[in-house]
Amino acid sequence: MKTKKITAGVLHRAKQQGFSDRQLAHIFNTDEISVRKLRKKLGVLPVYKTVDTCAAEFEAETPYHYSTYETESEVAVSDRKKVIILGGGPNRIGQGIEFDYCCVHGVFALVEEGYETIMINCNPETVSTDYDQVDKLYFEPLTLENVLDICDIEKPEGVIIAFGGQTPLKLAKALEAQGVPILGTSPDDIDVAEDRKRFGSLLKKLTIPHPADGTASSAAEAVKIASKIGYPVLVRPSYVLGGRAMEIVYDDTSLEGYMQKAVDVSPDHPVLIDKFLEDAREFDVDAVCDGTDVLIGGVLHHIQEAGIHSGDSTSVLMPSAESPQVVEQLKDFTRKLALALKVKGLINVQFAEKGGIVYVLEVNPRASRTVPFISKAMGFPLAKIAAKVMVGRTLKELGYDLDARPKYIAVKEPVFPFNKFPQTKIFLGPEMRSTGEVMSMSGTYGESIAKAVLAAGGILPVSGGVFFSVNNNDKNERMIETAKGMLDFGFRLYATRGTSLFLDSHGVPNTMIYKANEGRPNVVDYIKNGDIQMVINTPLGGPSRFDEQAIGKAALEENRLAVTSISGAAAALSAVRWYRQGKGDVRSLQEYHADLRVPETTLKE
Amino acid sequence: MPRRTDLTSILVIGAGPIVIGQACEFDYSGTQACQVLKEEGFRVILVNSNPATIMTDPEFAHATYVEPITPYYVERIIAKEKPDAILPTMGGQTALNTAVALAEKGVLRRHNVELIGAKLEAIRKAENRELFQQTIREIGLDSPRGVFVKSVDQAMEFAENTGFPIIIRPSFTLGGSGGGIAYNIEEFRPKIEHALTVSPIHESLIEESVIGWKEYELEVMRDLKDNVVIICSIENFDPMGVHTGDSITVAPAQTLTDKEYQAMRDASKKIIRAIGVETGGSNIQFAVDPATGRMIVIEMNPRVSRSSALASKATGFPIAKMAAKLAVGYTLDEIPNDITKKTPASFEPTIDYCVVKIPRWDFEKFRGADDILGVQMKSVGEAMGFGRTFKEALQKTLRSLENGRHGLGADGKDPFNPADLDAEQKKELLETITTKLRTSRQDNIFYLRHALQLGMSVAELHEVTGVDPWFLHNIAQIIETENELREYSL
Repeated sequence: MKTKKITAGVLHRAKQQGFSDRQLAHIFNTDEISVRKLRKKLGVLPVYKTVDTCAAEFEAETPYHYSTYETESEVAVSDRKKVIILGGGPNRIGQGIEFDYCCVHGVFALVEEGYETIMINCNPETVSTDYDQVDKLYFEPLTLENVLDICDIEKPEGVIIAFGGQTPLKLAKALEAQGVPILGTSPDDIDVAEDRKRFGSLLKKLTIPHPADGTASSAAEAVKIASKIGYPVLVRPSYVLGGRAMEIVYDDTSLEGYMQKAVDVSPDHPVLIDKFLEDAREFDVDAVCDGTDVLIGGVLHHIQEAGIHSGDSTSVLMPSAESPQVVEQLKDFTRKLALALKVKGLINVQFAEKGGIVYVLEVNPRASRTVPFISKAMGFPLAKIAAKVMVGRTLKELGYDLDARPKYIAVKEPVFPFNKFPQTKIFLGPEMRSTGEVMSMSGTYGESIAKAVLAAGGILPVSGGVFFSVNNNDKNERMIETAKGMLDFGFRLYATRGTSLFLDSHGVPNTMIYKANEGRPNVVDYIKNGDIQMVINTPLGGPSRFDEQAIGKAALEENRLAVTSISGAAAALSAVRWYRQGKGDVRSLQEYHADLRVPETTLKE
Repeated sequence: MPRRTDLTSILVIGAGPIVIGQACEFDYSGTQACQVLKEEGFRVILVNSNPATIMTDPEFAHATYVEPITPYYVERIIAKEKPDAILPTMGGQTALNTAVALAEKGVLRRHNVELIGAKLEAIRKAENRELFQQTIREIGLDSPRGVFVKSVDQAMEFAENTGFPIIIRPSFTLGGSGGGIAYNIEEFRPKIEHALTVSPIHESLIEESVIGWKEYELEVMRDLKDNVVIICSIENFDPMGVHTGDSITVAPAQTLTDKEYQAMRDASKKIIRAIGVETGGSNIQFAVDPATGRMIVIEMNPRVSRSSALASKATGFPIAKMAAKLAVGYTLDEIPNDITKKTPASFEPTIDYCVVKIPRWDFEKFRGADDILGVQMKSVGEAMGFGRTFKEALQKTLRSLENGRHGLGADGKDPFNPADLDAEQKKELLETITTKLRTSRQDNIFYLRHALQLGMSVAELHEVTGVDPWFLHNIAQIIETENELREYSL
């Protein structure tokens, strides 16, 4: 059937109708690069038109372009030294505005360094696609084809792929293979951080602990690994990113069930199994490395216990609450990892600490979602510094080689779209589900937490009832302390049977009420009737049970403060304590930063 | 009229955290506003609780408050900073609602702060459904007939006068739950009973259905000299019934006759004047009955919006920046066009290309969630693409979405190849696809292609989906080209 040889004319017409090289490769049963080569041979190349508001009636001065297949190109290519920054593409959960922030900062920094800075992105909502903010904007898909086409005509000194999240990262190797210079950490070193085997041997070499793990492609294998490393375990398919389909599993039966599901989905890909450090405390560290020195941006502590995606956790940047040894260890490991991975630019490391031992969970040698938050809390622009480092500046030159310490307590609180999806489970887990976040900053923990809750649209109760339903691990001293604290503020306590008996045994007065499925009136009725203003419910692993879902949904509908961990409850208690004394005052970032800028040498730009 | 000299400091309210329906487009607009006001020499005070925004970088304002956007905290900021004016039109519904609350509580009067960008009266007229519809009727335009009811009897009376289908929207329910559409009196009664039960205030809006009508948006700006310009027209590929944030949209509008478009332009001018937005931009939504051509006004946002961000990027005309300038007294004829520098901003943009926007959803993160697209927005992001034709822009945007597709099919990701199927299999598959297409879901665009591949005609497909035949013909042309390409080898 395929008798005719393709011509430039036919190819050109297909391109005019938007067919990508990938589609053509599929149609002609070849690969993308072969189509590209043929296209170039036949001279089927894109031209760039200018978005000029006037259909070319007047001369346009703003370099804002898109590609098409016609004859005349309107783009003026300068002979200045230039850098291309790849944006993050469409927003999605896990990759949102934070990455746009980093891209735009990259632009600002490189303009300061004298580069013509070119942005490629296809998201109309962002600042990075505002032609006013960048030297030159190509509003194009972030695909290999479109990026290579632009590189062909612009011939940049390098391309930055570390700011836009997963989108540009996925293109790194292919771009490099086509001879495009990648600025910053090399794609191979990024691969070391992402490849389980290579990363494992790096950690071994550096003697940095990480949770025991294994890889299984059958249920029997998985059970064997789990029995070796011990339950609970964190399981996930090897081929997904961003915590998708990740679960915490507590026993053989659930593990077998998970394997059934996972293996059904993709028999070719094994399942990764990690020891889950239950009750561990989790931390995030963001830093910039220039190959010699490492600037620690900040150490973020997650309020929720391990197992909740870092993007969904309330995070606190605190001057002094952690033990100095742990903080030093976190910083030390970050420095070692940054230098070993030859990081040039940003690095984010996620840690868990249990029993005084610090474990590395994950390393991302690129911009993370906490960069803007830390930059604002600490008063220095991490992404900008990183961009300058990527084009060869050193931290010493830039005056950032000293260790900065936070002076205030800054809190980052996620917001969730559960009100749009009433049928979905609302308990948090390893899969990120928040769409955005708020920040608050102040001199006290209680005020920062309280303002974060209020900024996220929550209501802080000052009186009424608090409902407790906690798992067996949480029936401990801390929980009793928190309950007593609530009692001292005049709250009435309600609890489900097990929790109520535990409170009784410690002499904490409370009212036992039914779970959602035990009878009426039950906890949902109490919430709906306005008797319960705060819900403290800590489910333990596994699929959330009917009553938890019902409680969560009722709390959501009535906008009651709901926390799912004891540390969350303790934080809520601090917030209530502060809120009962008044709502406090306001202070601008500029005022905070003025305070932070002492000593001057630490933070000058 | 030059820049106002009676103002020295201005408080800009941001949009707060990113939520579905209110995303980083307000960082784009807020950043532009702050920059413009700073350049114009004003002291800029900003409140926004979202640390991930560019606008909250300390260089963009003189005083940046990362504090909760609630009337209480914004009042504290007003008391401390004593701004002369508040610009509430850059931060989405959050900013507008906060400003209205402050005005209604007398805070603005007490501190002698002026609302700029949109006056309280105009905001009320645009936002209050009844006031808006009344205004629309007063200027001789049409809007969907509807009424709030608190009893089944009231609902029945409305149904008798209006006819079916009727949309039921219970007030204040989570995720719009409890609502629906009734096609006859038999199913109407139980649905309205249910709606009144689930609504916490036992009230429901019932409305004449415009589902399936064509949907349009116009981005309009007006200044103190009463100049009105239309920046951009946007057509929804998906007919009424799918939230515009969840619709594929196209700029400029493709399927209106010039006469229809002129009527819409005239209507927009009348509306922005009647509502009283004097210094800024608004987004006005219309529905057109494809059968009769009847045009009705759906709603208006008296502020910058997701659509104005899209229109700005699509045309090169920075609506937020211009709106900020208008808010401080400039008029459109005094501001040079950003791109040409020669023409004034009162020249309406002309575009010689086509822009397509496609939303991106994340349903897989919310297991159990209802993935049917409807009147409540569910997408978390969007991509846009330029082309000289709709076909080019559509395919470019589809591959911008990064959900594994490289265009409108033909990319190795199609679930089947029509060439492999016999007539019987094709028939069966077409039936399944036809059923699927009757409900709006995220991957419908690909199934439109499949339906045409399997032999459905454009007319039939239009009948099933309500998508305008012009768009379907374009999809058919893409398929034709694909088939033609298959006759060649490299």
